Amino acid sequence: MSAIEVQDLSVFVGNQRLLGPVSFEVGNSETLVIMGETGAGKSLIAEAILGTLPQSLRMEGAIIHKGRRIDNLTGDERASLWGREITMLPQEPWRALDPLMKSGSQVLETHEYVAGLSPKQAREQTSKDLNALGLAEAEKHLPGRLSGGMAQRFAFATATAGKAPLLLADEPTKGLDSSRQGHIVKLLREVPAKNGTLIAITHECPVARELGGNLIVMKDGQIVEQGKTKDVLAKPKAGYTKQLIAADPVSWDKSHSLYSGDTVLSVGNLTVSRGKNILIEKLSFTLNAGERLAISGPSGVGKTSLLDVLAGLLEPVKGVVERAAGLAPLAVQKLYQDPPAAFPPHITLGQNLRDVARMHGAKWDQVMVYFSDLGLHPELLERRPDSVSGGELQRVSIARALIVKPKVILADEPTSRLDPITQRETLELIEKICREENIAVVLVTHSPEIADKWADRTIVLE
Amino acid sequence: MTSAHPLFSAFLQRGLQALIVAVIVGVVSFTMMQALPGDAAYRIAAGRYGYDMMDAAAAETVRNELGLNQHWSIQLISWLSALAQFDLGRSLVYGTPVVDEIATQLGYSLLLAGGAVLISIIIAVPVGVVAGLKPGGAIDRLTLGVSILLRAIPSFALGVVLVLVFAVQMRLLPVAGFRGLEHLILPSLTLGLGLAAVSNRVVRDSVVEALGSEWRLFSRTKGLSARRTATRHILRNASLPVVTYVGVQMAYLIEGVVIVEAVFAWPGIGHALVHAIFNRDIAMVQGTALTLGLIYVLLNLFIDVACRLIDPRMRSQ
Amino acid sequence: MTDQSPTALTATVAHSRIKPGYPRIIGLLLLALLIFCALIGPDLIGVDPVKQQLLEARQSPSAEHLLGTDHLGRDMAARLLSGSQLSLSLAFLSVLTAGLPGTALGVLAAWRGGWTDRLLTNISDAILALPGLLLVLMLAAISPGSWWALYVGISLTLWVEYFRYTRQRARIVLAEPAVEASRLLGFSPRLIILRHLAPEIGPGLLTIAAFGAATAMTAVAALGFISVGVRPPTAEWGVMMAELLPYWREAPFLILQPVFCLVLTVLALHLSVGGMQRK
Repeated sequence: MSAIEVQDLSVFVGNQRLLGPVSFEVGNSETLVIMGETGAGKSLIAEAILGTLPQSLRMEGAIIHKGRRIDNLTGDERASLWGREITMLPQEPWRALDPLMKSGSQVLETHEYVAGLSPKQAREQTSKDLNALGLAEAEKHLPGRLSGGMAQRFAFATATAGKAPLLLADEPTKGLDSSRQGHIVKLLREVPAKNGTLIAITHECPVARELGGNLIVMKDGQIVEQGKTKDVLAKPKAGYTKQLIAADPVSWDKSHSLYSGDTVLSVGNLTVSRGKNILIEKLSFTLNAGERLAISGPSGVGKTSLLDVLAGLLEPVKGVVERAAGLAPLAVQKLYQDPPAAFPPHITLGQNLRDVARMHGAKWDQVMVYFSDLGLHPELLERRPDSVSGGELQRVSIARALIVKPKVILADEPTSRLDPITQRETLELIEKICREENIAVVLVTHSPEIADKWADRTIVLE
Repeated sequence: MTSAHPLFSAFLQRGLQALIVAVIVGVVSFTMMQALPGDAAYRIAAGRYGYDMMDAAAAETVRNELGLNQHWSIQLISWLSALAQFDLGRSLVYGTPVVDEIATQLGYSLLLAGGAVLISIIIAVPVGVVAGLKPGGAIDRLTLGVSILLRAIPSFALGVVLVLVFAVQMRLLPVAGFRGLEHLILPSLTLGLGLAAVSNRVVRDSVVEALGSEWRLFSRTKGLSARRTATRHILRNASLPVVTYVGVQMAYLIEGVVIVEAVFAWPGIGHALVHAIFNRDIAMVQGTALTLGLIYVLLNLFIDVACRLIDPRMRSQ
Repeated sequence: MTDQSPTALTATVAHSRIKPGYPRIIGLLLLALLIFCALIGPDLIGVDPVKQQLLEARQSPSAEHLLGTDHLGRDMAARLLSGSQLSLSLAFLSVLTAGLPGTALGVLAAWRGGWTDRLLTNISDAILALPGLLLVLMLAAISPGSWWALYVGISLTLWVEYFRYTRQRARIVLAEPAVEASRLLGFSPRLIILRHLAPEIGPGLLTIAAFGAATAMTAVAALGFISVGVRPPTAEWGVMMAELLPYWREAPFLILQPVFCLVLTVLALHLSVGGMQRK
């Protein structure tokens, strides 16, 4: 008898099919990894298993848990499984914790009310859990004060306190630095080791590789490939799987360095602070035309602040940022982490580009050349930012920056919100354009692999 | 304002506000005094000793004593310093100290305000919760329509309508004055309905947001029952915007007290203020306006404290 | 200070985008009708609102007096129309006087920050120290019956709402990456206001204007009711309500008329910007 069996699962909104039909089985103490990009329907599977599909969606097929069909249970019967039989680690744990209750208490109450421990036992168990996760100091903190990684671990402790044998983890590494990702993956690996069953949803190859078990690759609501994780990742059969694996920076080729010697920016003895905190001290380097410089480090270390100083938006506490003589005032441009946030929300993309072009005296034909170079369809110009995909928007940002003929582009984690395949395409585009136009790029990233493969050199901030 | 003791900063802020209230009321009252036709010394003397007891000599004494021949800026300063020493003078009309008059009236106004808030909570919370449990449903849309309608009716108009409905047509409730508790019903209902018209939607919005939140879903999926989720999580989170909004409504409450007391001849401070203006009883105007203003500041302070009790994020920086 | 005036908060609580729909159309039509009546005033029916005919006091509606006569024999319909002129023009004027500087200063405070922001915020907090109507009441009390005191008091109270709303929204918008990007791209302040601030703040300003006008009219009527604002024999809805209140037993239809007019106008204003529609 398997832990969970999914038979011919399909999810519809109205008459439109979003997912399926999908069938698979996960045995006790096994791991299943579901891999795919946004819109593949991965989260829908987890929600269907848990029973939390939104009201507007309709499900067909069967979900069998420990030999018993659970998809046709009443709301209350289904809810009785939560926490005790099936539990879920949500995508964004900092939003899943009650913002007004101390983090430790949220673990405590689960031990007491779900696992049924006495108040004394619950307190002891909570202390044990928090110590094991390195969260003892943060016990009395409110969720708002927790870092992403800590919130994730608190959510883990809370979700598993009910001792449910089946854990669904939806994008457990989302929004986390590379360094933090290792922690949570380790935690998840302990689940099957302790006789639990794990179903993990991710778009990151390294995470899938670490978790092992069986793998299902999904695209547009269909299963594209499945098998043992090890085998599929080593010898992928489907084209899409190959693309996904190629999108992992680990498998990239190291890009070639080809840049001229002219210095565009030089930084001397820089000290950067945000508010009262001194983030960076005594930093010096030069940037040459066409060079690709990566700045990596954990979140909060000051990467964005450094970019702001380079852009002239923030005054350094000490030290200088010197631009090469003859550099236009608009020569330094920026790309943003959240592509829609970089555009005025109420006007069309075309209107925005026209404003920039007009101000800079650029010809519209030239703008359209950039547009097509970046693989963008002119039809996008009629749309507002909220109805364009993240990847396309980021490329429109690049086109927009090119209009003012920059010499330096500061890219603040421009691809961290994008799917892996789009990420790879976008970074390749940035590399190509900057080589052609001889523009220096400073790329902020939290992934040492990307820095290693993509950039000419890296500055690591601690 | 960030500080190590956010409660302290709340007290400080409200203290400053109280000061501003006193200054504004004092200056305006002074201006009223100056703007009156006739002899100021005479009026003040009358205000002090009563019309019967005074004469030209008394007025002359007052004139010299108060330095009414001096420049108005100097007079203003002495006026304000009297205020600062809590010397509110005597009522022109009654001859009694303003403080005594207000002490009597305060109770009535507090009764009215308290009754109004109570009624508004009794109406708004259940209605808002029921509407919020099924957003877009029949009850939600019905309450929205009624709320819009009710909100468009100003408090005194509502008072008049309620008078007509209950007293005229149904001959149920007494209309004016105060002899027994049943006289409290119509005035506090008038104010309470006006408050509830908007606050029920705030409750509703707050419930909808709480029910749709990720933390509520997680609380359930980790295994907490619906009831425990409601008491341990939803209650606190949902009540925060409501309490904050009640704070905003305090202005409406104070304004409403003034107007509704006028409609129903309720012998409270608002009623006294209006009459004092009518009678050009400046000391009473100042005293009652000051009292109302300070009650407003006090109510704001209560809300500040309540918010800090509910929301631990506001407690430490 | 964390308290906001009720109107602004309710307006922002109510909605962020004005959506089309039946209530809004009804509101706009009603408003158009009311403005039309106010523009023409008593000339619409050609009767003098001031003329007293004591022998015809408190008459029910008839051919000669469409809505009856009041306790002094004056034609109700004419007085209501005259009152509408007073209320609507005062409301319109206050909204304009408050709105233009309020919005401009709000944007200025958000843009400049620093001591400009602190100074303006302190002024607005000082005005908010007293509840709006109380402030207007006090100012009106300085010389009861005079028009200017009402106008100044109401304008001050409305100014604060415009200022706070605009400042709050502008601060949020100006802190967004989109504005930073525009600055880096060399946008002039004028263009940033045009492309970023105006579309974001504009609809909300309309809402505040409508709610503010409603507040102004209510305040005028309330103060007229207690004879501190406009006074008899001026035809003003609040004054009329006070005058006709003693007759609520014998002739309730009389006092209901100004009540109805006031409620209808406020309702029209609220509905025209969506009432309390939410998502």
